Amino acid sequence: MDDTLAQPKSSVPKEDSVLRDDADSNSSGDEDGGLDWSKIPKGSSVSRPVIPKRGEKDFEPAQGSNLQLYQLDRARTAMFDVLRIHRSVASKSMSYAVWHPAIARAHVTTARGVDLASMGHTVARSSSSDPTRMHKRLELLPEEALYLVEKGTLLCWKAVEGFEIKDDEVGGTMLGAPMSVQEAFATMLDTEGITLERYQVYSYLRRLGFVVTRAKQPSKAYPLPAPYQSFFLPSVDRPPFLSHLISSVLWPFKRIFRAFFLPVVNWWRPITHKPWLFYNMDYATVYKSLRLIPSGHSTPLHTMSTEPDSPYEVFYHLYKPPTPFKKSAPPAPDFSVVVVKQVYQLFTGTSPLISTASARTSPIPTLVEFDRLFADQPVLPPPLPRQRKPPPKPEAMRAAQAQVTTPAIRPVTTSAWMRFLSPFLSRRAEVPTVPQRRVNPFMALRQGNRTIVIAAVDGGVASFFRFGQGAFEEWPMA
Amino acid sequence: MTEPIPIHISNHRAFVFDVDHVAKLRTAHRITGVLGGTLPHLSQQNIFLGLPLILLPEEVFLLVSKGFAILVSDPGSYRTPSLQELAEWDDMRIADILRQLSRSQAQEDSKRKFAQSEEALRKRQEREERRRRDALARQTGASRDSTTVSSAGPFTLEATVSNVAPVPTPTAATSTSTASVLASNVFTVSVPMSSNSLSWHEPERHSFSTLDGARIAGIWTYPSTDAERAKCEVFRDLWEKGYYMGGGSKFGGDWLVYPGDPLRYHSHFVATVHSSPDALLRPMEIVAHGRLGTATKKAHLLCCWDPAARKVSYLSVEWAGFG
Repeated sequence: MDDTLAQPKSSVPKEDSVLRDDADSNSSGDEDGGLDWSKIPKGSSVSRPVIPKRGEKDFEPAQGSNLQLYQLDRARTAMFDVLRIHRSVASKSMSYAVWHPAIARAHVTTARGVDLASMGHTVARSSSSDPTRMHKRLELLPEEALYLVEKGTLLCWKAVEGFEIKDDEVGGTMLGAPMSVQEAFATMLDTEGITLERYQVYSYLRRLGFVVTRAKQPSKAYPLPAPYQSFFLPSVDRPPFLSHLISSVLWPFKRIFRAFFLPVVNWWRPITHKPWLFYNMDYATVYKSLRLIPSGHSTPLHTMSTEPDSPYEVFYHLYKPPTPFKKSAPPAPDFSVVVVKQVYQLFTGTSPLISTASARTSPIPTLVEFDRLFADQPVLPPPLPRQRKPPPKPEAMRAAQAQVTTPAIRPVTTSAWMRFLSPFLSRRAEVPTVPQRRVNPFMALRQGNRTIVIAAVDGGVASFFRFGQGAFEEWPMA
Repeated sequence: MTEPIPIHISNHRAFVFDVDHVAKLRTAHRITGVLGGTLPHLSQQNIFLGLPLILLPEEVFLLVSKGFAILVSDPGSYRTPSLQELAEWDDMRIADILRQLSRSQAQEDSKRKFAQSEEALRKRQEREERRRRDALARQTGASRDSTTVSSAGPFTLEATVSNVAPVPTPTAATSTSTASVLASNVFTVSVPMSSNSLSWHEPERHSFSTLDGARIAGIWTYPSTDAERAKCEVFRDLWEKGYYMGGGSKFGGDWLVYPGDPLRYHSHFVATVHSSPDALLRPMEIVAHGRLGTATKKAHLLCCWDPAARKVSYLSVEWAGFG
């Protein structure tokens, strides 16, 4: 019977999950679940982080319940004990940096740990001893330095005038006045455009494992991400998006042409399908020809006036954790994040109440603001349905391999990413050997052509919203 | 009356950096705030966060107007440290490192004594025996369904145990002298959380015990509009009724209202503040609030501040449940 304990299984016992579901249905939603701090491992020597489960809560305090008092006391003590943990790190894994308030950068003197592999950028600065010589050095932006200080893996010195650096000491060199976490919060925030809200979004995403970079260059030395690569090639295969664009631009002319030269079409009669006249006419083109008002995101908005100080600007680029990230030449980002203070407007439309009540808040973005945000984003490929793998048969496998190799031989696309993306490209292009998987229109509409993430922060709590540019005109429900 | 709690203000944001102050705010003053920092040794998760505690502006208003707390302008209270102070800090740091090293040296000595003792040898033999048995069992395929992840659990635990008590050969014992430990510099370095330990941090001269004083100095201007004043008054009224308030932005309101400490009790209300009795309230808002409140097992609380009568009136919205 001990064997069952010694060899834990990956599947959770059934009864347990049923119990938990019951507990969840009693609680009032995910966000409000109680945090049981007593489940956090104790002591400062925690090396293996264990993320504990949320605890359970009572409905309300009952008069004179000693059990409740005891539980509350225990929960509070556990919380305060965890908060008391010191930021102590072995000397061999501690990084060091010098904070220069004048330029709002932390100069890393000793870089250790994996965090710095995706943080900081190299800048050439003239050294203090010899102004003509330029030195390349690793510098951290304020949010990066503050995050590492807060995590306890970076000791930041503040540059002090006239402080002579003593070398060869036991505990490493002292390069200035040491900064506490409190001082780092007081001095590093509100420099280089980092507000508390933006920093909280940064640290939140960073804690989740994302690599976070600035969207706007804070200085010339900051590396910019690679431009988005177009998912569609102007090559032998006419790309479906481009052709769609061209046809949507040209269709009025086409219609005039048809109306002029082909008076056989009577607009007061239902359109009949004439294969000899409209050889490639399907429902989509019929609907398109019936459309009187131009629609879609490619048509410009009527009002282009934007508020000069719109809070809606892309501030961060995100990279998913498995993205191969190179600090000096970051790839095209996976997500773009806008950070605003609390968005507080439950309903669209402008009422005088809401516009006055939003003094500490940002209103929901307008259509113009969305348009501008989406303009910089890449067009995403439509989401493919999850591939269901048939049970592998040896002969079918061999045949499939042969099929896969045939398109790769074709001279159209040679680069690796193009080969990777070829299923997206071949929506209408003919690659006869690869079996087509149909895109679910609802999934495509849900994802949208372009996507942007907006983080709204209020009172220290960040909520993330994803907005997608729904392309309803491309997916007619016929 | 005890000492008021210092609230550190930088750029109109209120922080508390001391655990004892957080505890006092929570237990004595029923103010929870939001923890916004990274927990040092649990840094890759967002469920449990650490210091600093970020206070809502209404909470700051309440604490200062009740005299429980004072405002401290944090960026201003750091002066340039003198070289003497830096040297003193450095001396303290090196003394601490040496103390650590001597302690770890003593621990290592006792450990080595233990490792050479009879009992330790016996235990080690037992452990190796057991591991061999385990490996055998695994090879025979008795534990086919145990995945690599789950089987790594007990195994790594043992590995760490054996690392702690290494087999000491006589040569290793002689080589680990004090000098080599010093050279390899294995000690812990701490980043201080609060600035209280730094002698050049002088909050006294930048403290404000009233909101007016802080407003004149320009470090804290909340509340400055009618809407903000209404929020502060409603917050104070709810607090005086004995409730705890937490941020409600995820529930479409200004705050969540709890009957007890949010650590242990669910909130009963989502509150929104209306700044005057003739403020516009659209029917759609009531519908949306009712919908959202019911879906989250809460009642929505419409709180209206009447500036003329200086009192708050409350209306709660809940589904009646008639089919």
